[in-house]
Amino acid sequence: MSAKPRFDLPQGTLDLLIMRIVALGPIHGYAISQRLQQMSRDALQVQQGSLYPALHRLEYKKLLNAKWQPSETGREAKFYELTAQGRAYLEAETENWNRLTDIVGLILKGTLEGAS
Amino acid sequence: MSWLRRLFARKRMELDLDKELLFHFDQQVADKVRSGVPESEARRLTHIEFGGLEQVKEECRESRGTLWVDSILQDLRYGLRQLRNAPGFTLIAVITLALGMGATTAIFTLVHEVLQRSLPVADPSSLYRVGDKGTCCYYGTDFENADGDYDLFPYDLYLELKQSSPEFEQLAALEAGGSTVSVRRGTTPALPLRSEFVSGNYFAMLGVGAFAGRPLTENDDKADAAPGLVLSYATWQSNFAGDPAIVGSTIYVETHPFTVVGVMPPGFFGDRIAERPPDVWMPLSVEPMINGAGTSLWPQGDHDTAWLYLLGRVKPQTRIPALQSKLSAALRQWMSSHVGYTANGGASEIPRQHVVLAPAGGGIQALQLKTGRALRMLMILSTVVLLIACANFANLLLARGASRRAELSVRMALGAARTRIIRQVLTQSVLLSLLGGALGLVLAYAFSRAILLLAFPHARNMPVNADPSLTVLAFAFLVSLLTGVIFGTLPAWASTQARAVEAFRASNRTAGDRSSIPQQALVVLQVALSMVLLSGAFLMTRSLANLEHQDFGIATANRYVLHIDPEGAGYTLERLPALYRRIEDRLSALPSATNVSFARYTPLDGNAWGTCIIQQGRPAPGPNDGCFSSWVRVSQSFLKIVGVPIVRGRDFSAQDSQTSTPVALVNQSFARRFFPNQDPIGKHFGVVDVKNSGAFEIVGVFADFKMNDPHHDVGPLFLRPLTQQYLGYSDPEAISSEKSSMFLRSIIIQFSRPQSDAENLLRHAMAEVDPDLPIFYFSSYSSQVAGNFNQERLIARLTSLFSLLALILASVGLYGVVSFLVARRTTEIGIRMAMGASRSGIVSLVMRGALWPIMLGAALGIPAALYVGRLGASLLYGVKSTNPVAYLAAVVVLTASAAIAAIIPAGRAASIDPMQALREQ
Repeated sequence: MSAKPRFDLPQGTLDLLIMRIVALGPIHGYAISQRLQQMSRDALQVQQGSLYPALHRLEYKKLLNAKWQPSETGREAKFYELTAQGRAYLEAETENWNRLTDIVGLILKGTLEGAS
Repeated sequence: MSWLRRLFARKRMELDLDKELLFHFDQQVADKVRSGVPESEARRLTHIEFGGLEQVKEECRESRGTLWVDSILQDLRYGLRQLRNAPGFTLIAVITLALGMGATTAIFTLVHEVLQRSLPVADPSSLYRVGDKGTCCYYGTDFENADGDYDLFPYDLYLELKQSSPEFEQLAALEAGGSTVSVRRGTTPALPLRSEFVSGNYFAMLGVGAFAGRPLTENDDKADAAPGLVLSYATWQSNFAGDPAIVGSTIYVETHPFTVVGVMPPGFFGDRIAERPPDVWMPLSVEPMINGAGTSLWPQGDHDTAWLYLLGRVKPQTRIPALQSKLSAALRQWMSSHVGYTANGGASEIPRQHVVLAPAGGGIQALQLKTGRALRMLMILSTVVLLIACANFANLLLARGASRRAELSVRMALGAARTRIIRQVLTQSVLLSLLGGALGLVLAYAFSRAILLLAFPHARNMPVNADPSLTVLAFAFLVSLLTGVIFGTLPAWASTQARAVEAFRASNRTAGDRSSIPQQALVVLQVALSMVLLSGAFLMTRSLANLEHQDFGIATANRYVLHIDPEGAGYTLERLPALYRRIEDRLSALPSATNVSFARYTPLDGNAWGTCIIQQGRPAPGPNDGCFSSWVRVSQSFLKIVGVPIVRGRDFSAQDSQTSTPVALVNQSFARRFFPNQDPIGKHFGVVDVKNSGAFEIVGVFADFKMNDPHHDVGPLFLRPLTQQYLGYSDPEAISSEKSSMFLRSIIIQFSRPQSDAENLLRHAMAEVDPDLPIFYFSSYSSQVAGNFNQERLIARLTSLFSLLALILASVGLYGVVSFLVARRTTEIGIRMAMGASRSGIVSLVMRGALWPIMLGAALGIPAALYVGRLGASLLYGVKSTNPVAYLAAVVVLTASAAIAAIIPAGRAASIDPMQALREQ
């Protein structure tokens, strides 16, 4: 389907990505997987086997809230949204992630400069 | 409590999950259709992309925090369904476990009840008995045990020790033997009740109060006190209908009036566990009144009668070893000052005399000493049964685990989590253990009841409870649970480790199969353990047969025994001859009655009097001279009725009267012991005193027969006739004991043919002679003799039962393993047959495979069996614990039943159709 390389997501990253998408407004599972694919420019294709357990886990941890409401086609779907706790968690984790990638990037860059 | 809410919201959650995933699925299909894919193709693709829908669901469920209650309920339901679907497996597993747990629990319950029980009294741990042996019931001035251990005390020695040992809060004395007395209330017929004389401080020492009225006290135990007694609660209920007015009323014991001062509390059974605990307790002070001139309390003359056990409560912080030395010293001191112990070289024996102070929280250990070894043996054997049952259970689980390997692989391939599968198998094992445990509880109760009935057929109010001990049951349950967990989970774990593809491929094709090694090892273990039980059963059964079929030297067929108590019914010495004549006339007149005789005791009823023989013309025997002989007073036709021949001289005759020469008949052992290499006829001997050594003339020698303990060799015995009371004694005690010996309490009657209801016939006839003369005991002579072997019979039967169980379990185990192997080797066997193997060749192939675990097990079992046999050697009679026949027989029986167990699957193997077998791949 897609010629672009796929990534194995590091542990815990999927939760963060899902929450980032949910943060944009109430959304159901199918739309989340579509949005992930679009936003990653098809680099990420999340399997249902990972997506739904993650959604249910986040709901169980009270980071997401779910309610049933009509979708765009009129059929009832389960819409997820961030709870206040989820929002705080997302902010903290995004911060963490940015710091981590900065640091990793710094080190990786440094190694290259030293080698050249 | 949110998991609880979710538990109930489970249905909704499942629906939501379905709906959510279905929405996703449909959307994805719709998107594909929109992009131009035909709908059927879109569906197919989406299915592939989606992967296992069930797997996704399961992971969603799990990510919502594991619903452990929920999944456990699910596993339970699943487990039960699985068990229902395999009823054969379930039944065998549950029965196996129940038998193992039931047998073990029953035996351990008995051990607990009999051997480890404390008396139901205040602080039993501070109770100590002065003495640790079972010497019973009356001893004269004797050194009681060869090692100098002294445990049966005369009254005056008791008083001496009581006075000299303030370390005891209370030191009480109690009758060692106890007896049966006639008790009458109002005009009702006299009841035979068990009685025990106790010192006045007995109940205070035990710390037991009365249920109604008051217990006996020191004041009741005074020579001038009004005679009083207390009743046991059970007797009060059953014999006196729980009448509250009995306290303070008068009842008659052996015709003497007594006031009932109290009823003891329910559950109180005295100072020991006995088949028939006392119904009444009387103070020691009334003993002379009950026993008349034959009193043991204040024997007259130089002779003491030892007849009391001493039981006391020590003060806190008493040093037991010091107290024991002190009491031993007091004992030696007392003996040294009594001529009865110092005379005839006795003084040299005194330094060895001592007492042992034994913890007596469990009371007097009479029953424990008697049954302890047997119970401990049974404990070992029942544990072996439990082990065999567990091995069998393990084997069943292993076989089942192996046969489910393919199924588990399929489930794993479909997305079942490994942990979940293992948990389900675990649940199933636990379920089986629970079911087995529940049935085991029922069996344990039935077993304990049955064992009690067999072991103590004459029990009345016996304080031994058949309720299974929960501790033991819990232990047995834990063992089988552990077995279930280990052997149920291991194969499941092993098969979840295997890769699915391999499991599919290998599911039906094996030849040299190593996977059955644990199963075979278990069979070896079962066979080895069965060896222990089987050889034990052979030894015990052989020993019982030796005991029962030994030549007792007496005839018992069509003979019946009655016990009466003429003294208790008020008969005096003068009125006795007339009574005996009336009884003899009446009973001989019964249809087909051929003979009637009287005896103080009958052979093998467990009683006889003993005395020290003094040959005429010889000095008085010393303490180590072995002068002991049993003796019995009998009526004229006694030897004829018990079928004992005269080997020399003559029998008693009508000419032996009060005015003729006092005569005696002796057995061959007596003649050999006291008159070796001489003709005993015409020789004289006496008892008690050298002065009397010419008292009795031996007129005949009769063949040896077993009078006392059938486990022992025949000892010296002499008989004296009913018609001759010896008047030559000067010692007051000897005179009174001679008088007492005139009261013969046993009647033997012989019929010419078997009787259908001898008991009623005889009771009616006796009631015609004297309605006020109660019958204390009735038995056919053969069952009286058989009663000597109750314990041996019980052990032999239980061991046989256990070994039968073991045999069945081991055979089932072997059958299972062989069937399993045959099933696994179907293809191999098919190939062999296609290549020309004969059917008999296939049978012998399978049988050979089945035989080696048997041989290995037997080889390992023999040393174990020899070891257990050595532990139980003292229980055997006339057969050595190393008897090779027993071990050979065990091997033969095991091999035979193994062959039967293996021949069925072997036959199945031989009837495999090669084409079919090969096609099945």
